[in-house]
Amino acid sequence: MHNVKRVRYSAEALAAQRQREKARLKEFQSLTGEVLARKQRKDHSREAFDLTTRLLQINPEFYTIWNYRRLVLLNGIFVESTPTQINDVLSDDLSLTTTLLKQHPKVYCIWTHRQWCLAQVPDGPTASDRNGWRQAYWNKELFVAEKMLEADPRNFHAWTYRRYVLAQMPVKRPETADLAFTKRKIESNISNFSAWHQRSKTLTSLWDAGKLDKARSLEEEFDLVRNAMYTDPNDQSVWIYHRWLVGPGEFVIGDDKGLLEREVSSIQELLDIQPDSKWCMESIVFYKKLLLRRHGDSLGDDERGKLNSECEELLGSLQSVDPDRHQRYVDLSRNHHIV
Amino acid sequence: MGPALDIPLHVKYIQSLGENKDDLVYHLTAHLRMNAVYWGLTALLIMKHKDALDRDEMIDFVMSCWDDEAGGFGAHPDHDAHIHSTLSAIQILVMQNALDRVDVPRVVKFILSLQQDSGVFAGDQWGEIDTRFLYIAVNALSLLGHLHELDVEKTVGYIRRCRNFDGGFGAREGAESHASQVFVCVAALAILDRLEEVDQDMLGWWLAERQLPNGGLNGRPEKLEDVCYSFWVLSAMSILNKVPWINAEKLTAFILSAQDPEQGGIADRPGDQPDVFHTIFGVAGLSILGYPGLDDLDPVYCMPASVIESLGLRKGWTALPRRQV
Repeated sequence: MHNVKRVRYSAEALAAQRQREKARLKEFQSLTGEVLARKQRKDHSREAFDLTTRLLQINPEFYTIWNYRRLVLLNGIFVESTPTQINDVLSDDLSLTTTLLKQHPKVYCIWTHRQWCLAQVPDGPTASDRNGWRQAYWNKELFVAEKMLEADPRNFHAWTYRRYVLAQMPVKRPETADLAFTKRKIESNISNFSAWHQRSKTLTSLWDAGKLDKARSLEEEFDLVRNAMYTDPNDQSVWIYHRWLVGPGEFVIGDDKGLLEREVSSIQELLDIQPDSKWCMESIVFYKKLLLRRHGDSLGDDERGKLNSECEELLGSLQSVDPDRHQRYVDLSRNHHIV
Repeated sequence: MGPALDIPLHVKYIQSLGENKDDLVYHLTAHLRMNAVYWGLTALLIMKHKDALDRDEMIDFVMSCWDDEAGGFGAHPDHDAHIHSTLSAIQILVMQNALDRVDVPRVVKFILSLQQDSGVFAGDQWGEIDTRFLYIAVNALSLLGHLHELDVEKTVGYIRRCRNFDGGFGAREGAESHASQVFVCVAALAILDRLEEVDQDMLGWWLAERQLPNGGLNGRPEKLEDVCYSFWVLSAMSILNKVPWINAEKLTAFILSAQDPEQGGIADRPGDQPDVFHTIFGVAGLSILGYPGLDDLDPVYCMPASVIESLGLRKGWTALPRRQV
């Protein structure tokens, strides 16, 4: 149970609650018994289907009943239906899951059933427009997923579902539209790491496909993240994203050494304003160590020694600024001269 | 000084869970019963009270959930077989030393049949995929001594494609890193002796940053703390030998503050309603943190370390040393 406050009831209140629950419990138990008995005897009738609806409305996490519902559809209802009728049934099932998702946005079974329904949509409405129904659903699905993200911008079920919809749509939406979407999400709340994460996936895909000028868009990303850093230097989403932009070696373009030095000095400027910012210090240590690792050979002994001692000093400060993670900084300091 | 772990009260709480048969909630959670029995039994073993629940009754319950059509276990009698309840059933039977009751070749066949072309596993024949199910398959095959039948490259390949730039792992390809998915992917790689797939420094950093100022751990950046992450995050840190990278004392105090001092059990956070899920993951976290009076928990399998050692399956994880009272 998540987020349910503990309440102490008196013995009388508890007894009264039991009494109220009694009728609901009885209904649930008899409905469960009836549906499972029908499942046992492979009843694939419309009546059985309607009973699963009732039961799932009471308990949408009852995975066995969703499974049975799908068997009734496949082996009963679909067999006797025209493609138009099948399409109507699926449309109703999607409405049912929409209603249930509003109440239970994190129940896996509901999302799974929704995805299953979409895979069942028949060709139609006509032989010349075979994707017509499907495209109409997919457009609506994107809307549903994005509505769910309005209610909870971190709901990972909705993000996963949205990615699935975008990948499956018969007529694909340009991926650049996703950049606008994630930017909107980030601008409304820079702590929404789910949106930063999605942005990293979209950019990678666009770069790999050669659909976006990498050097230019990287600079735009650096601007975006720099603004976010100044907005809230304590927000870790931003720092994690920045680390991705700088890259562990796979995104290196042009003058990598120049880029690292530029980012270090830009973070240093922020640190000068916010002298206790652990994220500034931690990032500077990381990037300076990266400089040593990637470009150590081209640096002079003096320069190497200076970078090393600056890292040591920052790691020392981090031990007192961020005492919960004290041991990590000690370990990083010990490993330091290995580079 | 905050409260201590009230072991007798939590044992009583776990015993009471099977006695609430007039409660609506008891029936509404029937689809989790097998998992709940596994959570309860594991918590009892870690608290050194194995005999608090009747062994024969438990084994009979597990066997009554066998789905002969599918060749796996459901969560409850008459519920469909699912890979999750199948792992819980196997874990219970292993802990009760009763694995001889299972038709091992059939279960192995059921599990292997759920691997998809991409390498991930589905939960059942209906095709929901998740790295949780992949871990479950690896864990179960390992406990059953049939890991050699798994296509390791294909399996590891899928985990690799779920790795994100922050070092963490998501539920599927493309999904955001999440502490519980980090646990399942790292533990699966540990079982398969493939921890070199993990960017250990990056992930260690990400995991250490799950700790919030109040001592609790969250599951993703900029989210709230929850006792269950004490296990998801700590287990991965323990497998990577990085538990000292967080403040153990503060996390211990946070878990203990989420106990229900009257009815027993542990909740997601202080003041909330307890349940068996948060009880086991709170106790598991405390065990990894070296809390006195507990038995060692194996973070890879989430079972008592002694059980895993006796099967010869122990990997190279480290927890904090057990403290004396």
